[in-house]
Amino acid sequence: FRACSMSRVFFYFFEILKYILPETMPSYKLTYFDTQGFAEVSRQLFALSDTPFEDNRLPREEWPEYQKCTPFGKMPVLEVDGQKLPQSFAIARFLARKFGFAGKTEWEQAWVDALGDQFKDYLNAFLPFFRVAFGTATGDLEAMKKSDGEPIRDNFFGILEKQAKDNGSTGFLVGSSLTWIDLIVADHMGVVEYHLPHFLDGFPEVQRVRRNVIETPKIKEWLEKRPERPY
Amino acid sequence: SMLRYKLIYFPIRGRGEVARQLFYLAGVPFKDDRITISEWSSLKAKTPFGQLPVLEVDGHQLAQSFAIFRYLAQEFGFAGDSPLEALWVDVTADQHKEYENKIKPALRFQGSEEEKEQLMRNVAEPARDKYFPLLEKIAEEHGSSGHFVGASLTWVDLLIAEHASILLKQFPGFLDRYPTVLAIVDAILSTPKLKEWLEKRPDTAF
Repeated sequence: FRACSMSRVFFYFFEILKYILPETMPSYKLTYFDTQGFAEVSRQLFALSDTPFEDNRLPREEWPEYQKCTPFGKMPVLEVDGQKLPQSFAIARFLARKFGFAGKTEWEQAWVDALGDQFKDYLNAFLPFFRVAFGTATGDLEAMKKSDGEPIRDNFFGILEKQAKDNGSTGFLVGSSLTWIDLIVADHMGVVEYHLPHFLDGFPEVQRVRRNVIETPKIKEWLEKRPERPY
Repeated sequence: SMLRYKLIYFPIRGRGEVARQLFYLAGVPFKDDRITISEWSSLKAKTPFGQLPVLEVDGHQLAQSFAIFRYLAQEFGFAGDSPLEALWVDVTADQHKEYENKIKPALRFQGSEEEKEQLMRNVAEPARDKYFPLLEKIAEEHGSSGHFVGASLTWVDLLIAEHASILLKQFPGFLDRYPTVLAIVDAILSTPKLKEWLEKRPDTAF
């Protein structure tokens, strides 16, 4: 409860500061577990835009206490000048639009959003198999790969492969510059390939997108300095 | 046809209704393309994700209901009045989707009275009681007397009001413990232009 009241204090502090110094840049604090998960896309958006942020990686044992002060009992939580914002995709879209990585036109932005929601649907279907693959659930990995993992993968990555190709094989899923869906897909592929090597070999256009992301200088820099976690 | 916009969906409200409402509220004409199952089987492979709804604008296709709603809402002025407001609209919509996925098995369930009762106790009530307190909190912190977020109509208002009307038709009194939500839903459904649409739209069960 102390943590909740402290954040109230910070919020009012920033309200006063914004009034006195309206040109100050907002302060950002992103809180999540010490993993990539649903926070990584936002961390990468800060890195891409050279925006300083506090990368608050919460130890597991502190979560029950911190949870009480979150808007919805979940993480990530982004604090912008002390105001707490939940929901990873809403956060990512908000930051991407601010920093210029959401798509250059409203139509492109809509396509990025569409692919993002399609990714979420895919991940919900894929996770039961994937949890077995990275060891947090038990099951017959080979059987589940055939019945779930591969068909679910083929359906979604088939969509991505076509999209990347239709978009001109430029190494971007949408438009002609990096968007947050490129970041999400590239990060996810890294996690998948770590646990299931070669599982995504059959998608050369999407592999091109992934290479494009990880070779972008600011992302490369970030990947070199971030803590390395299995997911 | 010379219409810029076409919405392709099944002849139900489902995941297409909010888009239709946005067109109507904005006074923008569109082709409300309600297709049959057999039409769908030949169209499916020609859509971006093999799913409906699909929005066509000048012949270009867009899929995923929330992406469609947000796009139209932005074009027509129903997406929130600032980036932060737009964020809270998105937050509410995503939270609502998570809840809807959980309560889905209990909606329109055709089975024995005993099974219905079990679904109510084990699925519907827990899903409701996890989500609606959050929705009340959002409305209290970011909304106003007639809106969940901000002071003017947004696509998430339409999303929630549509769901609530189906929910309360099946389970009257189900939201009695959430008077703030009920009041906002009531206000939304009483919006004159929306009321017009509700009266003239094709009548479907859901």
